[in-house]
Amino acid sequence: MKRIVVVAAMLALSAGAVVADQNQVKQTQAQMKETGKNAGAIAAMIKGEKPYDQAAVDAALVKFEDTAKKLPTLFPASSKGLKPDGDYSAAPKIWEDKAGFEQHIASFAKAVADTKGKVKDLDTLKAEMPPLFKQCGGCHETYRLKKG
Amino acid sequence: MLRRIFLLAILAGVIGFGVFWWLTIPATVAAGALPAYQPDLANGLTTFNAGGCSSCHAVPKQDDRTRLGGGLAIPSPFGTFYAPNISPDPNDGIGRWSEADFVTAVMKGTSPSGAHYFPAFPYPSYQHAKVSDVRDLFAYLKTLPPVAGKVRDHDLPFPFNVRRNVGVWKFLFMNGKPFIADASRSAHWYRGAYLVNSFGHCAECHSPRNVLGGIVTAQRFAGGPNPEGEGWVPNITPRGISDWSVKDIAYFLESGQTPDGDSAGGSMVRVIRNTSQLSSSDRDAIAEYIKSLLPVEGPPKPVKKEKES
Repeated sequence: MKRIVVVAAMLALSAGAVVADQNQVKQTQAQMKETGKNAGAIAAMIKGEKPYDQAAVDAALVKFEDTAKKLPTLFPASSKGLKPDGDYSAAPKIWEDKAGFEQHIASFAKAVADTKGKVKDLDTLKAEMPPLFKQCGGCHETYRLKKG
Repeated sequence: MLRRIFLLAILAGVIGFGVFWWLTIPATVAAGALPAYQPDLANGLTTFNAGGCSSCHAVPKQDDRTRLGGGLAIPSPFGTFYAPNISPDPNDGIGRWSEADFVTAVMKGTSPSGAHYFPAFPYPSYQHAKVSDVRDLFAYLKTLPPVAGKVRDHDLPFPFNVRRNVGVWKFLFMNGKPFIADASRSAHWYRGAYLVNSFGHCAECHSPRNVLGGIVTAQRFAGGPNPEGEGWVPNITPRGISDWSVKDIAYFLESGQTPDGDSAGGSMVRVIRNTSQLSSSDRDAIAEYIKSLLPVEGPPKPVKKEKES
């Protein structure tokens, strides 16, 4: 009887852990989606589809900073191999090449810090943002998979 | 009787082999076919960027796109290819090549020693290039730093490692027909069509392939499973990106950013490193052409299995 309780408890706990990891994956996806949305708002200004909006630029940079800060915790080892809904999944490389991954995060954080306070108008936006956006692709090149 | 059948079988074998041999003779471009020419280095650089040479031939894990020492592993369903050294190094690269050797390699897929290259080298697209562009590219490559070091052989199992067989592949999938003939279009559109179908070699990844590795012509540009492994290459006909404007496509080729703010991933990041170096006029031309493609349904994506839990 005791054994059954222990086994049941363990099962419940591990099931709980899996649920927690799934939640983590969902949070990670939400964070990245939100980051992309902000980047898209800036792209629309660069493309001339929307007028320059200082508040939106500042908000985007705050979001980028937040993402850079959170990124090291967004991909815990326990979420490795989980296949979330959506178009993308995390590449196993994140955990296989942890040092490389963290280096990319640091490089993104630095790009955000360097850009902060420098964007005052459309011209500075056009000058400052593309190098920052390059950071997105630099990491997605290796550490993100597009699903079938 | 038995003897006669035996002799007939041998004869059929000899004829069959003869046909195979004749069919698979590697095509070349003779030096005499290239009249005197003053290459344009600036156009050579444009061609270099449009062709994405450095995406595969640049030494991996370093940032200099002009160090073309090769070595990148390119996985495929047929085995792993290793991009060769195309720097001007005389021993390990193409430093001793004649111009005709280079034009033959790029446009016919034949090596200076007369062997077929494997079509991981996208010559089925490059064959549509203008000879003058290829000659400009050769002149430009000659200005880049030589990088020493021979790249290892490709890692392919039999029968894919038999280069002569590539002759059959070329016979099946590489016709010499011009890629497009639509006189009603503008010169700008035509420039885009040219860049996409020749040097840009977009269709090489953005099309599904059959079991022999040939592009499924009817589904050109309609995407498919990633030939390099996991994931899916997007459909770039209007069926896949109908909500992208011409401006969106051009901006994506410049910045790597999709209209919804997402960024390019995977091999496309390397492509963007090239297209971001093109003139905005060339990027606009590519975008105009891509936007004008007919909508084509790609192969069905595998059904997701996650829902069961």
